[in-house]
Amino acid sequence: MKRIFLFIISLAAGLGLTAALTFAATQWLRPPALHGLVMQPQQPAYNFTLMSHYGQTVSLSDFRGKWVMIYFGYIACPDVCPATLAELNKALLSLGKQSERVQVVMITVDPERDTKEQLAGFMPHFNKSFIGLTGTSEQIKEAATYYGIYFAKHQEDTALGYLVDHTATVMLIDPDGYLRVVYSFGTVAKDFADDLKYLMAR
Amino acid sequence: MNTNIRWQTSEFLPTPLRYGAAVVVGLLALSIIAFAIFQPIKVLPRIGLAPGLGLIDQDGRVLSNETLRGHIVLYNFTYSRCASPCPQTMGVMRAVQEQLNGPFDNKGFRIRLLTISLDPAHDTPQVLKEFALRSGADRPRWWFVTGDESQLKYAVGGGFNVYYAADAKGGITVDPVFVLVDGWGIVRAEYRTASPAIDRILRDISLVIDEAKNSEGAARYAYEAAHLFLCYPK
Repeated sequence: MKRIFLFIISLAAGLGLTAALTFAATQWLRPPALHGLVMQPQQPAYNFTLMSHYGQTVSLSDFRGKWVMIYFGYIACPDVCPATLAELNKALLSLGKQSERVQVVMITVDPERDTKEQLAGFMPHFNKSFIGLTGTSEQIKEAATYYGIYFAKHQEDTALGYLVDHTATVMLIDPDGYLRVVYSFGTVAKDFADDLKYLMAR
Repeated sequence: MNTNIRWQTSEFLPTPLRYGAAVVVGLLALSIIAFAIFQPIKVLPRIGLAPGLGLIDQDGRVLSNETLRGHIVLYNFTYSRCASPCPQTMGVMRAVQEQLNGPFDNKGFRIRLLTISLDPAHDTPQVLKEFALRSGADRPRWWFVTGDESQLKYAVGGGFNVYYAADAKGGITVDPVFVLVDGWGIVRAEYRTASPAIDRILRDISLVIDEAKNSEGAARYAYEAAHLFLCYPK
């Protein structure tokens, strides 16, 4: 009788412990939830071929072995693009040596004004490793469409001339060329860095 | 040391505690296996990014994928002069519209139908307006758009993987395809037939809604786990 009673108590304790462990697991031991939209199942990312600000033809496939973060923006962009590039720079700095395994590229949505020379002057302001890509407007349109990016000129009387409205997501491509995470605008450096650390450790 | 002896010699502690530990481990393993086998949560796969769009609607205004962010959208692809199999595919769109306007529970989510015309030279906004009227489209629910040739080629041909080509009679051959895109701009389902089951489309829309409703807090982990265990509907 006493044994049955004790068994029931231990069973209850076991159940309680299970609940507590599961809770603890979801709180601390769980893989950190990534801060963007995770693609599952993973799909190969569109393999663009564009002109880098170093004057070379560059394809996404040239970056196999590295984590690639793709952003669509332009030089005369007043707020959204510099903010995003600055966050990406901060994320890379906080990764330290590991940042060598990450390549940030910005594909311009303003190919008329953003020549490779212009980009060569612009990209290093944020980080020396960042690469700016440009191409013909057809090439840009094609790449943007496949990455879910909408862009259109927006006439406005500013000192910078026209503006370009565009989707401001950041795409994370893995070292095998698969699209893994899509980040919405406003993702901060720490979130990028946490995700990269987690994914690179696996 | 003392506790160690107690552990080994005590009359009641070892066995029940061992049972307790077994129960804990067993339950954890069982719950994971049960989740994988019984798949209590169903999700649709995230098939890929929906293409970027900058199209013109029947009022001559720009409709982009940014306008559609936050909307669940069912796309189809046709043109106003299409004779076959378009009446059938437009019938599917109409039937879905009827259900969405009627008994379907949208749980507060905005659901849109979007017909993309592949014949921009002929299908001006005015023509699209008549086409919409003829198709029985209810304006805020069902939109008609078109765009320039290259945009359509990249977005529809490349992005949505829809085969279409000009035929010898001056028309366009187009594969019947319907695509369901979620509010984040991710393709969640494709129906590559002229007559998909309406019930299946509605079920898929419900699955996307349920996932979006549970995209925060603890429920999110359960849904991400469902993606991990490939808990896709049959």
